[in-house]
Amino acid sequence: MLLFAQIVVNGLLVGGLYGLMALGMGLVWGVLNIVNLMHGALIMLGGYAVYYLYTSAGLDPFAALPLAMLGLFGLGYALQWFVLGQIARSPLLNTLLVTFGLEVVATYLAQLAFSADLRTINPPYAGQHLALGGLVVPLVPAAAFGAALVLAASLWLALGRTRTGRAIRASAQNLGAARLYGVNPRRIFALTFGTGAALAGAAGGLYGLVAQISPYMGNSLTPKSFVIAILGGLDRPLGVLAGGLALGVAEALTGAYLASTYVDAISFGLLVLLLVARTSRLLRPA
Amino acid sequence: MTVRWLATALACAVLAAVPLAARPTLTQYGIEALLLASLAQAWNILGGYAGYPSFGNSAFYGLGTYGTAVAMARFHQQFGVGLACGAALGMACACAVGVPILRLRGPYFAIVTLGLSAMLAAIVRNVAIAGRNIGLILPIFRSDTLFYELALGLLAAATAAVALTARSRFGAGLVAIRENEEAAAVMGVATTRFKVMALALAAVITALAGGIHAYWITFVDPASAFDSSLNVKMVIMAVFGGPGTVVGPVVGALLLSGVSEWLASAISSMASLFYGLVIVLAVLFMPKGLWDAGRGLRQRGLRYFGENLRRYRL
Repeated sequence: MLLFAQIVVNGLLVGGLYGLMALGMGLVWGVLNIVNLMHGALIMLGGYAVYYLYTSAGLDPFAALPLAMLGLFGLGYALQWFVLGQIARSPLLNTLLVTFGLEVVATYLAQLAFSADLRTINPPYAGQHLALGGLVVPLVPAAAFGAALVLAASLWLALGRTRTGRAIRASAQNLGAARLYGVNPRRIFALTFGTGAALAGAAGGLYGLVAQISPYMGNSLTPKSFVIAILGGLDRPLGVLAGGLALGVAEALTGAYLASTYVDAISFGLLVLLLVARTSRLLRPA
Repeated sequence: MTVRWLATALACAVLAAVPLAARPTLTQYGIEALLLASLAQAWNILGGYAGYPSFGNSAFYGLGTYGTAVAMARFHQQFGVGLACGAALGMACACAVGVPILRLRGPYFAIVTLGLSAMLAAIVRNVAIAGRNIGLILPIFRSDTLFYELALGLLAAATAAVALTARSRFGAGLVAIRENEEAAAVMGVATTRFKVMALALAAVITALAGGIHAYWITFVDPASAFDSSLNVKMVIMAVFGGPGTVVGPVVGALLLSGVSEWLASAISSMASLFYGLVIVLAVLFMPKGLWDAGRGLRQRGLRYFGENLRRYRL
């Protein structure tokens, strides 16, 4: 029983990061109608940004996180402004293809610049843990989980309470009406994509603290983020977070009780099943 | 019409005569290029005509590879039987994925295909009959000429299939799905069945390409059979050449294979960066592919690119 509880705790800690990844993807999809196939690549770039800020500049990973987010925000803003904004009104096929191409470019450049080696971000306090009545809660993943929750809550507050947040939500609901009220869609779209990229970058940096980063890590994270975003609901950050936690726990249980080699395969199969169940309910006429 | 038939026949004859005259290295390069062109043509059926891009067709390629390899290496079957097994596996997988996922409209299919190939590779790595991580060795059969002609035959068959599709009710239904799926459904197109059939056809062609490649190389392992860079290549070749056209993907594939071969020898491993950039630029500046760009450039000059870029701007 204690083992089971421990596995659930481990799963929850990773699941918080899945939730954060999915938030960025869901935000971009909901507002811009772009299914961003390079979301995983942005997560990967965030991971490397924190890694190098820590190993080369000596910054604490948690202090490096805002810097990495700022960098990813700038990259996302520029990508939307210069590239994706050009095809803002095109069929979904075109944005799928362009983000797929950008993902290939980003992965290739990362492999060239950072090599294909697996890396982890290992701050000196990495081994420490808290003991909670027999359960071991490792400090760094717990802190990463906390950071993910804080970021999710800030997104929720920013979307709900600020002028820009209202403009973003208005653009998602009715772009024409939002424009009539003075919203500049190009700026709002770039801001939204930048925010999605910054969230991906944060998730990647935190992921590097609890798991390994490599240029290819985004491949499996893009579909995971997508499905979690659907399960949670595009406009409900808390639902998305819950979806991430559920996936984290499911993966941890699979790894512990079934076979660790099948974790990705089973998690993928589970996601497909959930996708079919959830969307067919959504699409069925009332 | 007759001119077009004559030109096609002439092109086939010239391509078929290549192994008789050319150096062995050129024939070997030709096998790779023709197989890639078949993959691009297969992708074109669902991705180009119906507008449902798959980013995981290498799953079918891998299944074709392993179907052929297991039948030949483990059960000592003929090559033809092996190919049939591979094609059957590919088709079964296409139906297993397509029936639940292609019922949904929108991006769901694209996302599911992203993880498909990696999942199958993970399964194959744990299956004893498929040789786990080590892979399988097929009986050796050395004849580049034969494999070249097989690859050419596959490409010709795939292109003929696409040409027939384009003129049939089936093809018209796929185009209707691409242009407006709801309207297509209202007009009586069985959208799910059409999409699944298109995927199954693509899967069979892709699996056959995998099987031919497996027997040519005489060795299969999970990493090369489920190689994800194949997905990048086939998508880009089809999109660059002209998605939803009969000859576009073939021209795009042969052209890009040539350029990437030259790049790979000039600057090693630039090929994948090149492919990524090509797809981004192609979608931005010539979303209908090389075929349409040729006509557009004749009529409108360089303004054609600017017009495409501005068309979907906010």
